[in-house]
Amino acid sequence: MESRILQLIAALRASGVRVSLAESAEAFSAVDLMGIQDREHFRLSLRATLIKDAKDIPTFDKLFPLFFGSGQPPLMGGNLSDDLTPEEAQMLADALRQFTESLRQRMERLMNGEQLSRSELEALGQFVGLNQIDNLEYQNWMAQRMMRALDFPEVREALKELMEQLAQMGMNRERIEQIREMIQQNMQGMQDQINKFAGERIAENLSERPRSENIDSLMNRPFHALSDADKKLLQHEVQRLAAALRTRIALRQKRSKSGQLDPKATIRASLKYHGVPMEIRHRDRVRKPRIVVICDISTSMRFCSELMLSFLYALQGQVRKTYAFAFIDHLESISEDFNGANADEAITSVLWRMPSGHYNTDLGCSLQNFNDDFMDTLNGQTTLLIVGDGRNNYNDPRTDIFSVMSRRAARTIWLNPEPPYLWHGDSDMPKYAPLCNDVLKAGNLSELVSAVDQLLSA
Amino acid sequence: MNNPFESTKSVKSSLNSQNYIASEEISTIVYLSQKLGKPLLAEGPAGVGKTELAKAIAGATGRELIRLQCYEGLDESKALYEWEYSKQLLYTQLLRDKLNDTLGKAESLAEAADKLAGEEDVFFSNRFLLQRPLLKAILCDQPTVLLIDEIDRADAEFEAFLLEILSDFQVSVPELGTLTAKHIPFVVLTSNNTRELSEALKRRCLYLFINYPTIDEELAVVRLKVPDLNPKLARQAVEFVQKLRAGDMRKSPSISETLDWANALVALNAKNLDKDTLEDTLSVLLKHEADLQKAKRQMFAPPSSPRHRPDEFGRFSGN
Repeated sequence: MESRILQLIAALRASGVRVSLAESAEAFSAVDLMGIQDREHFRLSLRATLIKDAKDIPTFDKLFPLFFGSGQPPLMGGNLSDDLTPEEAQMLADALRQFTESLRQRMERLMNGEQLSRSELEALGQFVGLNQIDNLEYQNWMAQRMMRALDFPEVREALKELMEQLAQMGMNRERIEQIREMIQQNMQGMQDQINKFAGERIAENLSERPRSENIDSLMNRPFHALSDADKKLLQHEVQRLAAALRTRIALRQKRSKSGQLDPKATIRASLKYHGVPMEIRHRDRVRKPRIVVICDISTSMRFCSELMLSFLYALQGQVRKTYAFAFIDHLESISEDFNGANADEAITSVLWRMPSGHYNTDLGCSLQNFNDDFMDTLNGQTTLLIVGDGRNNYNDPRTDIFSVMSRRAARTIWLNPEPPYLWHGDSDMPKYAPLCNDVLKAGNLSELVSAVDQLLSA
Repeated sequence: MNNPFESTKSVKSSLNSQNYIASEEISTIVYLSQKLGKPLLAEGPAGVGKTELAKAIAGATGRELIRLQCYEGLDESKALYEWEYSKQLLYTQLLRDKLNDTLGKAESLAEAADKLAGEEDVFFSNRFLLQRPLLKAILCDQPTVLLIDEIDRADAEFEAFLLEILSDFQVSVPELGTLTAKHIPFVVLTSNNTRELSEALKRRCLYLFINYPTIDEELAVVRLKVPDLNPKLARQAVEFVQKLRAGDMRKSPSISETLDWANALVALNAKNLDKDTLEDTLSVLLKHEADLQKAKRQMFAPPSSPRHRPDEFGRFSGN
């Protein structure tokens, strides 16, 4: 039982639920306390101790029955041969004779309500490559492949024929209906059995998967070398990093013990002491930055921008106001898209509006758009943040506008995934770089995190 | 008294006696959290009875409920303790003669200062310590139920500060030393999930997610809390509310709003849920103009289903 619980915990971790050592220890003491007789109590004691986030509950609900199945074999309709009269049995045998040997065996099996044995299931699993799968999304697909391997579709067809045959041979309609129902149930039972086996096996594979060392290596892998699955993993990680960052920044902005006197608060506090100002209050020195972020969302830059925007919106409480703009060939304000939506969906909706073409990135024109419509978002308290590679397809870089923007903003920071030695060809970075206060390299997630940290620290 | 719940069944029945209908899930996890001595973190949408749960636990165990309502900017002096300066000042004033007696005999300034230092304990004693909820829960002579309400509204720093208390149930006051709990309070934290809580805090708690109830559960709550509402109408009302929740509302009606509505129906002496009654009372249930309009459109102008005739009314609930 203990190893089974550990397997479940391993599978939970592999599915992206964070379970700490303290929590798994607690799960064991909870199980000790509640016992394992009552399955529901057992499930709840595990859930209350292991799952601390409502969005992880579905994962748990999916995995739990796979490790702690209800134990009952799937329902089988019963054995057909038990309640057939000799004539009927004869009829059936005659009708069966027309099918090939293998089909006949399969059908007889279904009629007898005989389950698949463990070794048969193993062999089937082996055959369809079940042992390499460690993703529960493939459970149905695997089960289907196993059923195919058992010739389920052919058997189904053959059964239909068989029923017709029996009807022609003059068997009672009602009887046929009964037989059909029984076989149907047996078939369903077998399907359930296969499905359950596939799920259990995948869950076990999941728990045996080596602990994902990959999240650290992913953090340091360049954005352009990430697969889609990796990106998904990282998106998830961003939420956690943002929470950590948020706490760190919040602590940094702690109430100041010195600085400008706050007369109002001091007078209010002095009321307690007969108007003697015992407690001196100071103005909070909270320097929440205003951020204007301009993101390149062309294909090469999309993921970096997406992560950046996820960060900024996860950190919403720590900045006074964020204006977000996206550009490919022209610039649009995308702040509205982020209201309430998560960055992933928001970006998708923005991309749907601004489809990317081939080599049509035009920062110059986008800067012109910004100059025309949004220049007023920049003022002395604004940090201007540009996420892009500065590759302009030989269009006019419009450094004149950029220098105005950089002068209006308090700080200008450029996040570029490319290191300076790659700034050639159509890259206009050498022209923009001198106009920025800082050019930070953000080629992978860990660089991006430290860049965001720096952005919000000053 | 220390272990008031003997089994999950007794949790359920004693919560029931407090007019709180606990599902199997809730009673099991409450029982576990009491047995393990771990805080209970209840999360879920607003108005599903998280706070009510803490009150019911307090009622069921006969413990005092100490409540700390969290908000942005809540700090230690409001949550834990504060020195009562004004009382200290007042005492100094009134005890001036006594102080003069004590200090008057001193030969030198240094001796007087020493003497005064010897009396320092008088001024930094429990007498002048203004106990805020957390300290009160720790120092109380009787076991208590500590409700930390809407922890997600407090700042991240405050959350970090709670960690010490939740894991060791002790507080250090520099002038007095470390104060340890006489009885470990039953701690219930609630969160509306407006922001993600820190991993460290979650790790120390048992997690209970309370979602909107099913039709039967909600009906049981309505029947319990508003016994005057006739059963048939109660069922229709609950079904109506559930239908609203399934729709995409800016703010889904909570259980407490269902109860308000049920009370309103009783007060208006409504016989059935006809159009006029709904028009009059829907605003109890939905608090956004847009939601109201949407609900009215959905309920009164479904093109496919014909208006229910009064005699057919009994079937309104069924399909």
